[in-house]
Amino acid sequence: MTAMTSRAPAMGAARTSGYRKTSKRERVNRVGRHTTLMILSLLWLAPMLLIISTAFKTRQDVQVNPFGLFTSFSFQNLVSAWTEGHFNDYLLNSILLSLPSTALVLILSTFAGYAFARLPFFGRTVAFYFVILGLLVPFFAYMIPLYFQMRGMGLLDTLPGVDLVLTTTSVPFGTFFMRAFFADLPGELEQSARIDGCSEWQVFWRVMLPLVRPGISALGVFTFLQTWNNFLVPILYLPGGSYRPLTTGLFQFISGRQIDIGPLAAATLITLIPVVAVFLVMQRQVAEGFISGAIKG
Amino acid sequence: MAVVRSTLPKVTRRAQARLGIIFTLPLLALVVVFFGFPLVSSLYYSVVAYDGVTASPAFVGFANYVQMFTDPEVWHALSNNLIWIVIGTISPLFLGLVFALLLWSVKRGSRFYRLALFFPYVMPGVAIGIAWSWIYDPLYGWLNTILRDVGLGSLATGWLGNPSTALYAVLVTAIWGASGFVMLIFLSALQNVDMELMDAARLDRTSVAQRVWHVVLPQITPVFIMVTTVTLVGGFSVFDIVFIMTSGGPDNASDVLGTYAFTNAFQLNNISYGTTIALLITALSIPCAVILNRIQRRLSIEGQGV
Repeated sequence: MTAMTSRAPAMGAARTSGYRKTSKRERVNRVGRHTTLMILSLLWLAPMLLIISTAFKTRQDVQVNPFGLFTSFSFQNLVSAWTEGHFNDYLLNSILLSLPSTALVLILSTFAGYAFARLPFFGRTVAFYFVILGLLVPFFAYMIPLYFQMRGMGLLDTLPGVDLVLTTTSVPFGTFFMRAFFADLPGELEQSARIDGCSEWQVFWRVMLPLVRPGISALGVFTFLQTWNNFLVPILYLPGGSYRPLTTGLFQFISGRQIDIGPLAAATLITLIPVVAVFLVMQRQVAEGFISGAIKG
Repeated sequence: MAVVRSTLPKVTRRAQARLGIIFTLPLLALVVVFFGFPLVSSLYYSVVAYDGVTASPAFVGFANYVQMFTDPEVWHALSNNLIWIVIGTISPLFLGLVFALLLWSVKRGSRFYRLALFFPYVMPGVAIGIAWSWIYDPLYGWLNTILRDVGLGSLATGWLGNPSTALYAVLVTAIWGASGFVMLIFLSALQNVDMELMDAARLDRTSVAQRVWHVVLPQITPVFIMVTTVTLVGGFSVFDIVFIMTSGGPDNASDVLGTYAFTNAFQLNNISYGTTIALLITALSIPCAVILNRIQRRLSIEGQGV
């Protein structure tokens, strides 16, 4: 700080020339920055471009030049992935796995998050730590016994069973996340609502719930992407193949004996389209969800 | 009546407790059935010899644990996990920090760069695996094509099929996927960096490296530690990307504990042994997660102070 103040007068003397110099340097700096960032962005998007390019190639072109960018155009691959590759079924299964489980996560976490933040009851702390334990313990710890438990319960190879597992794996984070949102709301709101004659349910439903809507949408986007992308849960608990979602459908595709690259690229594209759409439309919520996801671990 | 009114009335407290229980009961039931129960069974599975069929498997005590600690493949997989953790933590941290610093003062186009660099993190692992296995393709892959074009054709190899490169090839893919995420965390941390201090340092004619080292890093240290722990914890339970790209092959070369546990349980039917290895993963990653939690708690306390 002292060095700063003693230098200040000298700076004033050399101001004009010094100023111009930095501005020029800054301009060079900015161009350099943008060039670097542009190259990096292209590098980071390259695999995506590769998928798109290969997905739209003609059959002959895939055979001779599968990974040359945008050398031909046709919908052949998309059509064959959709019909012969059964990716229309896989898409439906993916939807039937991620939408119900996301909805369930949102409902359960919102209610429980509110209770853990604002409704004291006997055993609440223990119950909360039990739920949060799921954040500490990796899925590996219980995935194998769960397989046999699911088999015993008749839930193996069923969509509702796997929906419940997906919900269970996402709900610890959801509860933690929603609890934090409810805990941040001012207590006076609750008091005044009660004075106005609201029942406890009405305090929650009419007063508190509308205030955490941003949290719910961030959690929803985050959970949807997590469940849509989930690979291990469906590959474990949907072994029969009749309810295969897109992720394990793709895996099935690449573990086959001969790989048909064109339709495979098209199938990958089908899997990615919803992800890209959600990502672009709900950027803010995606970022928020993932950042707090990390902060929780 | 007037006496109880000063705090929360008893009626209210009772109503709250009732609603609280109703609100949490469905969640607790779900978590008990699909998390608590199998977690406890896991311990049971590790002390019996279960093959997935026998109704009452024989008790074997610590035999599975003894087998695990004397199995060279477990040690090999664990060393792969350690390689994964070291390289897979340092590289995204470094790249993420560089990206964040590059983006820091950029206004125009910043959103595009951010989206492009972060996007891989939300891609499904299977899609990532497919695209990258094409890049690594021995014949047509971009990597070998580029190597041949610049005259380094002798280095071209089947990156995923070569035992000495398979793990690293997958690791590069994972680093590519994680860096944008680390960048995003750093960017949000950089918003809190004291700009006056930066300007002061700039006036003192410090170099960029000096400013990053002496001014920026000390201010984002907590976040730095946090990101480190997050990637570290993930390093023990890595599975998807390795399983998708190499399945632990060729010849177990790229096996990590996760793929080895999976293979044992679901391909070799050594259910109990697979479970024991899965418990090892758990035992290794929980301490890291606990430390992470501690740090976070300290972080949030500091956050409230500011």
